[in-house]
Amino acid sequence: MKTVECQDLTKRYFRKPVLKQLSFSLEEMKITGLIGRNGAGKTTLLKMIAGFIKETSGELKVFSQRPFNSLNVSANTIFVDDQMSFPPAMQLYELLEVSSKFYPNWDMDLAQGLFDYFSFDPKNYHKRLSKGKKSTFNALVGIASRAPLTIFDEPTTGMDTAVRKDFYRALLKDYLAYPRTIILSSHHLEEIEDLLEDILLLNDGRVKLHMPMEDFKEWAIALKGPADLVLALAKERELIFKNNLGTNSVYAVMKNDFVQDELMQAKAKGIEISSVQPSDLCVYLTSSAKAKEGIDHVFAQR
Amino acid sequence: MSLPSVNPAEIVKKQYFFKLRANIDAYSSLVGIQLLAILMSLWGSGSSGIYSEALSVDVKNYSADIVIAFTMIWGLTTAITITTKPFRFHDFTFVTNRITSGLSNLFFLLTISVVGGILAMLARHLIILIAYSFFNQELYGSPAIGKEFILGMFISILYIFFVSSFGYLIGTLVQVNKASVLIIPVLVIGSVFIDATMQRNPMVMNILEFYFMESSPLIFTLKALVSSIILFAASIVIINRMEVRK
Repeated sequence: MKTVECQDLTKRYFRKPVLKQLSFSLEEMKITGLIGRNGAGKTTLLKMIAGFIKETSGELKVFSQRPFNSLNVSANTIFVDDQMSFPPAMQLYELLEVSSKFYPNWDMDLAQGLFDYFSFDPKNYHKRLSKGKKSTFNALVGIASRAPLTIFDEPTTGMDTAVRKDFYRALLKDYLAYPRTIILSSHHLEEIEDLLEDILLLNDGRVKLHMPMEDFKEWAIALKGPADLVLALAKERELIFKNNLGTNSVYAVMKNDFVQDELMQAKAKGIEISSVQPSDLCVYLTSSAKAKEGIDHVFAQR
Repeated sequence: MSLPSVNPAEIVKKQYFFKLRANIDAYSSLVGIQLLAILMSLWGSGSSGIYSEALSVDVKNYSADIVIAFTMIWGLTTAITITTKPFRFHDFTFVTNRITSGLSNLFFLLTISVVGGILAMLARHLIILIAYSFFNQELYGSPAIGKEFILGMFISILYIFFVSSFGYLIGTLVQVNKASVLIIPVLVIGSVFIDATMQRNPMVMNILEFYFMESSPLIFTLKALVSSIILFAASIVIINRMEVRK
């Protein structure tokens, strides 16, 4: 069964398209990473899945229902981000109680455990928490709610490294014990790549790639060596990134459809072959023509 | 995995109890505003006197009218407040759609109207008690009791609820389009001016008279309840298409 399905999904804000004809579907019980640059449309997509905002055209189905204004989708979904808002008059332990009333799968033991571990004061108020603490509390609510569709939009904003690690570990452990569909958006792919099963890469309002994480790690390959040789190999393939090293040497990332023999031959000619970090690959795949020239280009003309 | 089924009535109930707890500030502001109104009522509303060479009589009237009026203003502002963004977002942090959110707001406002109305009626006794205890005055008349008290309370509650349903609609319109902040006063004041230049009774006054000059409690009850329900229904229909957390 698919948890999220969309067909030609489009969203415009004041005629400016944010999402352009997205078509994809997310399998249930999987952790999918939603990756993309600033302004790629990640948050818009997630808010649409959560039923907060309306699609302009196209079709979006969550649990086989249109999510906008659907009580059923709302009851089975939790959307966690740093804008998550709680009543200012309620103390943190009251917020946990209220959450437990609304979310049918809520696990109070887990919530209490995480609450103590991150040393929250039950009598404190959400608005008085620091930025990182707020994010931690929101993430805690997101994990403990055990909603069949759990959406984290940049959940680690403001968290320090230790807390980020703890959060991802807690999320993974609870997911393994109680599988559910999780969508996680983040700028730091290197932190979450071991957690993800699928990756959905958005670029400029379109789906750039959607594949299992394992495949994505092998999807591209980097060659480094004499420019003529490397570029000859790149010619027949999709060149993703190129960086000139000195006068006659080049580092090129291209789609990996080499057979073993070709790589052996290349190696023999003195070309260095390496794999590409998924986070780097995402950057290469989503950089605009201008960005490909690098930030130095801006300063070169001064 | 089978999805837990959701009963809208159950969600409205949960949201209602959540709102009673979350909007605790509304009660403290009620206490503050009623104390202020009680203080102001102690000036006495309207006084008259008879003076002759041998005799002078001062008559002061004490009533809870100011308290009820202030409570109505409080109901109006509370209703507007709960239509604002942070309050709508709270619902969406948990489980909701726009209809359950609107319905639970309706029940919440009804509840605070009841609380406000009862306290306002009781304030009348407090005013008389203070006047009796601290002012060197003879007291005539008695506290409203029995049927009179119940009726007064019921009508006060209806007034507060009606005004807050009006506030809820205004607040909703403002949320949909910020220009309403300008447009609504312009329409109201503008209509008064137009009516004045046409030399006819201002429409706004006619509307106010329609509700506030009604002498039959039964007809007033009908007017207030039907209007409140229409105002709430309109608000929910308007908000039903609105996006949250853009």
